[in-house]
Amino acid sequence: MTPGVRTRERRARVGDTLWFAALCVAAAALLWRGVGQLGYDWQWHRVLKYLGAWDAAGFVPGTLLRGTWVSLQLVASAFALTVLLGLVAALLQRSGSPVGRAMARGYVEVVRNTPLLIQVYLVYFALAPVLGIDRFWAAVLALALFEGAFAAEIFRAGIEGVERGQWEAAATLSLSPTDTYRFVVLPQAVTLVLPPLVNLSVALVKHSAIVSVIAVAELTTAGRNAVSETFLAFEIWFTVAAIYLVLITAMSAGARALEQRLRRGRR
Amino acid sequence: MSRAAGSAAGSTAGARAPLRWRAFDAWLLGAAAALVGVVAWRLDQHLNYQFRWDSVPGLFVRQDPATGAWVPNLLATGLLTTIRLSLWASVLAALIGGAIGLMSTADRLLPRMVARAYVELVRNVPNLVFLFIFYFFISAQLIPLLGIEAWARTAGPTSRAVLEWLAGPPALLGNFVSGVLCLAMLEGAYVAEIVRAGIVAVPRGQWEAARSIGLSRRDTMRDVVLPQALRSVLPPLAGQFISLVKDSSLVSIISIQELTFIANEVTVSTGRVFEIWIIAALLYFVPCLLLSLLFRRFEGRGAPRAPD
Repeated sequence: MTPGVRTRERRARVGDTLWFAALCVAAAALLWRGVGQLGYDWQWHRVLKYLGAWDAAGFVPGTLLRGTWVSLQLVASAFALTVLLGLVAALLQRSGSPVGRAMARGYVEVVRNTPLLIQVYLVYFALAPVLGIDRFWAAVLALALFEGAFAAEIFRAGIEGVERGQWEAAATLSLSPTDTYRFVVLPQAVTLVLPPLVNLSVALVKHSAIVSVIAVAELTTAGRNAVSETFLAFEIWFTVAAIYLVLITAMSAGARALEQRLRRGRR
Repeated sequence: MSRAAGSAAGSTAGARAPLRWRAFDAWLLGAAAALVGVVAWRLDQHLNYQFRWDSVPGLFVRQDPATGAWVPNLLATGLLTTIRLSLWASVLAALIGGAIGLMSTADRLLPRMVARAYVELVRNVPNLVFLFIFYFFISAQLIPLLGIEAWARTAGPTSRAVLEWLAGPPALLGNFVSGVLCLAMLEGAYVAEIVRAGIVAVPRGQWEAARSIGLSRRDTMRDVVLPQALRSVLPPLAGQFISLVKDSSLVSIISIQELTFIANEVTVSTGRVFEIWIIAALLYFVPCLLLSLLFRRFEGRGAPRAPD
């Protein structure tokens, strides 16, 4: 008896998954051998030291894990400032003030049309000495200025996504524009704004790697230092990439879960 | 468009407030002026920094002492490298992204898994970290293996001239090619997502119609789906091109000698931090802004009709 369509499909799926696994193994082997043939000596055990070690007092995190912690602190501070900047820029863009609108528009266009790297250099080399801030806060400021332009767009969409009837109802109650935003529009915009904002914080983790150019002691900087100490370029960079991958995938999974929950709540 | 609508229907609830000068504007202007004033004062009093813009034009063009002809200087060559880098990398990224995008819409699972793995890996690791990994492969292994640097050295005068026009100074060809490859591999993943989304957005009925008139899968793709996907793919692709121009600054970290790299070197050697970084930012800002305004115009004109 010939196998049914279902069975054949399932078999093809299993076969392809096996093929994929074989391809991954082949790629890894090729990398291993190819790099090894150039005189590269794989020394994965030396990476462990950079992750952490146990001594009498317990677990002591290595430079890579300490760098991860700094990255998270950086992202948290920058995110708080991003939300503030984004909200202000969005409200200014919606306001009737010609100056406010022009400023917000100018800010968004400048940030969106210049590379983040240049912004980091400008903030660190030019603005930081003027303001008298250290490299950590220069990094926070640069990342927040960059991400804030994207947050502004998210807030704008969120505010415009609130139903017209809500505005009309607020107008009927003769609420002032400030009160309309405060009590009616912004609370309802939160559910619209939250999922993209969480996605923005994931992007922030990705973008935070760039501040390694100004030697803030975060994960990528820790990786660069470890590479120049040991010359274990592949081992260290693969480890750093894996840490970022875990962080970012976990955060995106959280973002998706939140989005689904909010969507269910709205129905 | 929203501005016109906002001012025409000023009383409409939820629309943008109509433009009107108020005390708030004066307050904002005052705050901005105060900020500029504080920065200028700090620069002058605490950092003892004097702006000297007169040295900037000399960084763009210089007179060749031997021939007396005007030749592009550091910043201009950096800008040219950035332009060449962006153009070549976007061509390559379109090829990589197109192939991977097609793979991720395949019927079979295997190509889909391979495509997904590539796209998810690149998108979930910082570009900079990927750049470091790619760079070690490409610059240390692939470029010597290809032997393009040796070829550039032995090429005849005509091919050298063509090469220089296409890819900059032949002596830096290996450097340039690794920059192009790194950038294209990164951006290819984003292009693949755009292509995949475009193909998926073509209504199911189009596939069914093509099948009912007996077209093969390949012909369906070529004659029915791709032409329709192209229309929805073009606007985000244009946006991705602007992103690529901006991301090209990243390869300065791996010593590809483009605009950001050169600007960094010039600030170190001259100490003109403010002038050079402001000029460098403008050199990215003006082309990117013009491109995005241009693309927005095209997008508005050729907007796809609502699906029926």
